[in-house]
Amino acid sequence: MITQFFSNTWLLWILLSIGGLLWWRGRDNQYFHYVFNRYWLALATLLLVSGIVFSLMEVLPGDCAEKYIAYKNTQGETITQADIQAERVRMGLDKSLPERWGRWVMNLTLRGDLGFSCAKRQSVNLALGDRFWMSFMFCIAGLLFAYLIAVPFGILSAFTINKPWKDKNPQHSKVEQWIGTVMLSGQKVLDLLLRIISYLGLALPNFLLALTIILLYVFAGEPMPTGLFSDQWASVPWFGPNGFEMEKLYDFLGHIWLPIFVIGWSATALQLQTVRALVVDESSKLYVDAARARGVDGVALWAGYPVRHSISPLFNSIGFDFQRVFNDLPIVAVVIGLTDSAALLIEALSMTNDQELAAGILFLVALVVISMNFITDVVLAAIDPRVRKSVLGS
Amino acid sequence: MNALLARFGRKAKPAKNEESYYTAGQLALIKARFKRKTSGVVAAWILGTLVLMGFFAPFFSPADPTIGGADGEYRRGEPQVVFFWDDQGFSLRPFSYSYEKATSKIDLKALAGGGLDALDALTSSGALSSSSQNKFTVDKTQRRYLQFFVQGWEYSLIDLSVAGLDLDIRWDRHLFGVEQGQIHLMGTDEDGKDIFSRTLHAIWVTISIAIVALVVKLVVSLFVGGVSGYFGGRVDTIMMSITEAVRVIPPIPIYLACAVALSQIDLTPIQRYFAIAVVIGALDFATLGRRLRTHILTERNQDYVLAAQLCGSSTWRIIWRHLIPSFTSYIIVDTLINFPYVILAETSLSFLGLGLTEPVNSLGVLLQKAQDPDIQQNMVWQFFPVLVFVVLIMAFVFVGDALRDAADPYSEKK
Repeated sequence: MITQFFSNTWLLWILLSIGGLLWWRGRDNQYFHYVFNRYWLALATLLLVSGIVFSLMEVLPGDCAEKYIAYKNTQGETITQADIQAERVRMGLDKSLPERWGRWVMNLTLRGDLGFSCAKRQSVNLALGDRFWMSFMFCIAGLLFAYLIAVPFGILSAFTINKPWKDKNPQHSKVEQWIGTVMLSGQKVLDLLLRIISYLGLALPNFLLALTIILLYVFAGEPMPTGLFSDQWASVPWFGPNGFEMEKLYDFLGHIWLPIFVIGWSATALQLQTVRALVVDESSKLYVDAARARGVDGVALWAGYPVRHSISPLFNSIGFDFQRVFNDLPIVAVVIGLTDSAALLIEALSMTNDQELAAGILFLVALVVISMNFITDVVLAAIDPRVRKSVLGS
Repeated sequence: MNALLARFGRKAKPAKNEESYYTAGQLALIKARFKRKTSGVVAAWILGTLVLMGFFAPFFSPADPTIGGADGEYRRGEPQVVFFWDDQGFSLRPFSYSYEKATSKIDLKALAGGGLDALDALTSSGALSSSSQNKFTVDKTQRRYLQFFVQGWEYSLIDLSVAGLDLDIRWDRHLFGVEQGQIHLMGTDEDGKDIFSRTLHAIWVTISIAIVALVVKLVVSLFVGGVSGYFGGRVDTIMMSITEAVRVIPPIPIYLACAVALSQIDLTPIQRYFAIAVVIGALDFATLGRRLRTHILTERNQDYVLAAQLCGSSTWRIIWRHLIPSFTSYIIVDTLINFPYVILAETSLSFLGLGLTEPVNSLGVLLQKAQDPDIQQNMVWQFFPVLVFVVLIMAFVFVGDALRDAADPYSEKK
């Protein structure tokens, strides 16, 4: 009895205990007070998101009862309008929108239940399974790829932004000026090339990029890197009789680079712009001039002052970067033939009109974004003194 | 002062420009700074050319892009190259060659016996496929000279009847054409529609959808940002939490849901086109709305707002006439930067078959064809719109980038 009660309401207790712990620590500690505030704000935003997502799904045509009945119809039963109505009442679809939303939110907060998918005829949690984690990993890998390229080259780009092509420093000798000119022009050309390449990732729509790469494989006569595994490895378990299957890992890596590369490349352009803008912004501040006046120069100046200070806003935007990358994933998934939650989302929205499944996926994405924002806010307030000062006011 | 400037290796500004520099308006300053960005200027020229060619597409295109102007004699045809000289000598007037449709030789006698094997063999040999049915041989002896300002199908050059004005200039001249038949610089598609003309027409459709979307976005953002920034307090809290909630949901799935809902309603292609633009614009208010709010929050306590309030201005007047203008240059730049993203959103929807659909010429529709294996293998020239699309987006991004740097008033402090 007791165990059943707890297994039905476990999520609520976890949420409440985290909140309670934060509140208790926050009574005399300003930092934990801030964390507590952020915590309930995040929960409130989640509630709003669930409301928006839930009401948005109303615009999709059809409802659960119709689909269920349509399914039964294919099984050879004759169905009348009264049956559909009865089914609606049984599923609670005759209730008003706020009522149904309240029920959905309640199930969600009590035990993390995302509802029942009619098109798949199983619970949304089960239908999603590991697929959401797969999409999550794809997005994180794509983001990492984008950051790895965007951060160093964004800094380089910011470094060259207001530099001339020629070194005209009168203090330099002719040879020094000549070398300086070559260096500056080299940097400028490199910057321009990198910007063109990264913007190409933005300008080539993802699906075209994926298609082009697949086409290249077709022309080369190689097997296409679509899906996650080749046919021969798809059903082999990770841990076979002779230990971990390294071959399967290689096969896996040979397939997943394509979606990661495609979504990563298009994310790079925006990251590059952000990094560049942040560093340029910081580099025109007075403390950089002060450091320069003290004689700090070159790499030491850039690494120690503007670059170091522009990392935390970049870190702060990870949540929204994740959202942006996930935004691109569905179409890539359709082209490459992935079976992750992004592909499910497209299927649910445009083919089966499966409101519950689509709402579940969108809500999970929002959950990830909001948790990331919460974590970055909390971490930054702990380690970055500027942020701490602005949010704690001390 | 000059000596100091020279020490830092920077050219001292001539004294006579000094005054005009300090009295220059914001736009003049942005323009001056923009001109110094070589990549931005080059991109701006490319962008201007493309937009101009798109706007006056009927004039620049040699063939009518609708099915009415399709060249039934030249379906799935290759691009026709324009030459200035060949073996027969040089010609100042560029020319193309005449072509002939190869009559396909299908040996129907083999089928006479009624054997299914013969039919199978015929089918699998590919002789019946539409690409081998439409083979053209170029006749190098017959030149077809290009003509300029030729008379062709009538079109409206500038049509302001939509805006309620009685101005509809109709014309029937086109920049170039050819003596007999049509010229297809970039080949034709399955129906014989000219790819080059379709692409030119698609540019303006795509840009106009982006303009509609961005105008809607601007109005919604101004409303959200203006109201929550000006009133502050509880209104601000509610508005901003809604904005925050909208911001975390990925937009393309939402566009998709709206597009699916739109497909339930019976709309003409034009209405559908505007509906999609409005949906894309209306849901994209979060970022700009927040920026506007922050700006207005800081500005609303300034003295000039107090002065306006004391003069008895209404709230809306203060927001529209005093607060918003202080933010114009940012809004313009932001709008320009957002062009490529809106165009990409339209393309993604069209790719999934939920945006604009086939008879309409939009870049998204033309790009969608790239996923057709038939086109990938037999009609590579249909990838021309992809090229134009990439160039267009790149030009937008580079112009936006340069403009962002130019509009930043602190960028040339030193």
